Amino acid sequence: MTRHLSRRNFLRTASLGATGAFIAARAPQDAFAQEVMIERAKNPRFLIVLSSFGGANQVDAFLSRRESEVPNAKTLNAYPDDMVQTIGEFRAIDMKGPSIGAIPAAFTANQSNFVRKHNNDMMVVTHTGTSVNHFVAQQRSINGNAAWKGRTLQEAVALTYGAGYAIPNVHLVNGTGFTERGTDNTLPAYVYGERAPTPNLWPLSLDGYRGIAGAPDRKLFEAARKFRNERLDPSSDFFRTFSGSQRIKHWTNIRGDALRGVEAEDLITKLMLFPDSEEMPLAAHGLTGSAIGQKVREAFPNYEFDPLEAQAALAFMLLRYGVSVTVTLGPEGSAVFKKGVTLGEGGLGEGDIVNPPISFDFSHQANRQVQAVMWNRQLSIAERLISLLKSEEFRDGQSFWDRSMIYFATEFGRTRRRPDNAMTFGSGHDLNNGSLIVSPLANGGRVLGGINVDNMLTYGFDPTTGRPEPGRQMTEPEMYSGIAHALGIDTAGSNLPDMRAMRRQA
Amino acid sequence: MRKQIISGLAAIAALAACATAPEPALPQFAADVPAPVASVDPRVKFKDGERYLRDLSANLGIPREDICKELSRYDCMTDAFRIVLGGVEAPNLLVNEPIENAALTSPIAVDRVALHVCSNRVRMDREDPAEAVLFKAGAFGADGRARTPDAEWLNATADAIYGSILMRSPSEREIQNLAAYYTQVADGRAANSPDVAADWVTLSCFAVASSLEAVFY
Repeated sequence: MTRHLSRRNFLRTASLGATGAFIAARAPQDAFAQEVMIERAKNPRFLIVLSSFGGANQVDAFLSRRESEVPNAKTLNAYPDDMVQTIGEFRAIDMKGPSIGAIPAAFTANQSNFVRKHNNDMMVVTHTGTSVNHFVAQQRSINGNAAWKGRTLQEAVALTYGAGYAIPNVHLVNGTGFTERGTDNTLPAYVYGERAPTPNLWPLSLDGYRGIAGAPDRKLFEAARKFRNERLDPSSDFFRTFSGSQRIKHWTNIRGDALRGVEAEDLITKLMLFPDSEEMPLAAHGLTGSAIGQKVREAFPNYEFDPLEAQAALAFMLLRYGVSVTVTLGPEGSAVFKKGVTLGEGGLGEGDIVNPPISFDFSHQANRQVQAVMWNRQLSIAERLISLLKSEEFRDGQSFWDRSMIYFATEFGRTRRRPDNAMTFGSGHDLNNGSLIVSPLANGGRVLGGINVDNMLTYGFDPTTGRPEPGRQMTEPEMYSGIAHALGIDTAGSNLPDMRAMRRQA
Repeated sequence: MRKQIISGLAAIAALAACATAPEPALPQFAADVPAPVASVDPRVKFKDGERYLRDLSANLGIPREDICKELSRYDCMTDAFRIVLGGVEAPNLLVNEPIENAALTSPIAVDRVALHVCSNRVRMDREDPAEAVLFKAGAFGADGRARTPDAEWLNATADAIYGSILMRSPSEREIQNLAAYYTQVADGRAANSPDVAADWVTLSCFAVASSLEAVFY
């Protein structure tokens, strides 16, 4: 596809190296729009969606309440006083237990360490959703219930900042509503999520040639591609008959400049998380692991058997190498056991269950224990991602973390009632909840909204001042807008509400 | 900064060149078949990876389980590129529906698979000439001496490639295209080298196996 940059913009993109090359290939015709695209690519914000499948419940974490604070504590989900810690505006629950409900595996879970460390970047916002169907609610947590033409937050970030990035929007977790494509079909193809389901082998799909034994020389291979694209295909009856197909047009477009741009970045090496080994014989196939692989593997040592750790490792590499501006990861529906653990051989030991089946949704069986285990898991992943992002300089003394946001997207909350004074009980889905956002860009150190101790449901806040407003419920479009604005996304013309209270720099 | 600007200019210039280079002249045919009429409702489907590999397996005579292995051990479809090649994997990945639109990495994955398969086929042909499917090396010297492949061999090989992969005979134009492509592959090398001929067969096979007609139906 032929693109034209204005002379001024041609020179400006030239100073951006590979970023500029991607912009050149994707540039809109309008010179002003080109300038905006260039400026935003130079100053991106990064969105990490850490999806929390099954209902990450705020009243089991940062909005928890002591029994002494709740009039009907006996039948509501309030915790024994000595379990609830207060750290700044937040609460935290640390818990140990002999089993996760019916799963006979002891566990230790901690929230307070994360809150103490990241209190200043944490923002909890209350809201009430519109669906307790998993898939539908997952979608609405990232598209604000079609708040802005149906585009997802990830797509909005990729559209705003991603033009200079090889694969702006990558979905490392799949098959959930958190990674469902938005319904705004007017966006350029590069902003929609790219699925990366297998972190060990996915990097191989970023180069069509390297690592293939017995293949002819690369120059000849590239010439063969050109021959196919420019002579063989155009002269076939098939092409001449079906060249009007949208699928054919899309295919011929992405196998052109976009493909060359991805391969030129040597991502097959940069994103190769796994080292050379018997299971991954890279060297024997002329490949090598990533230069930062060791550092990332040390942060996520369970990457070989824990899908979430592998996702997080690759997520960091995608951001660090300037491949993406938004990544979506999260626990999947399957149970994850510690390496080497097998069922039916002497029972389970402490920590053997890394991820309960159906993640947060196993709260149907044992609300408190599952919430504790899963929050511990999510916070641990976030903590390590933040440390890695802080350790890498983006530019001029700023770290990658200074430009990042972790959004713990979840479907809904959990019901608040419990049998009299029960410590172990099941819970259902409840529209009412809140979300954790951790970011230097957010209004950190704040709980926006509050808890009605009569029923343990959350209430909202003033969108401008953040002042608590009992009786008000925050909506999905308001959450979407607040996150988008904190990330510096221009939503002019969208009719989204101004949620100044959610931004650090109002 | 200057170095970055120069390298950026080079990258942009390269992309611009790719976008604006004139089309190479196609061979002229005095009596070619009339061009088909473009469909007024051109609907095509992406051939998902499993179907694609099974077709190649059957047509090129390579067992399905051996036809494409990443790192010599992971099946290209089942293990490596299932989702980007339009497959589903409900039990573990919860992907119940194939991707609606080809992913950015889909054409790269197709190219990898096609190159794997064609490299395999030609290697097998060279190892066992009696059972060769595509690279029939007889033209290179039953008498032990290599010679530049003649038109008959080029045409027969082109016919074998199209017949094996697309299950049809090539048009005269397509045969001429592939034959003309031989000089490109041989550029700077001895045209009568079996290695050159093997490269041509591999890459011609690759080009046809990753063509639009092979990937869509």
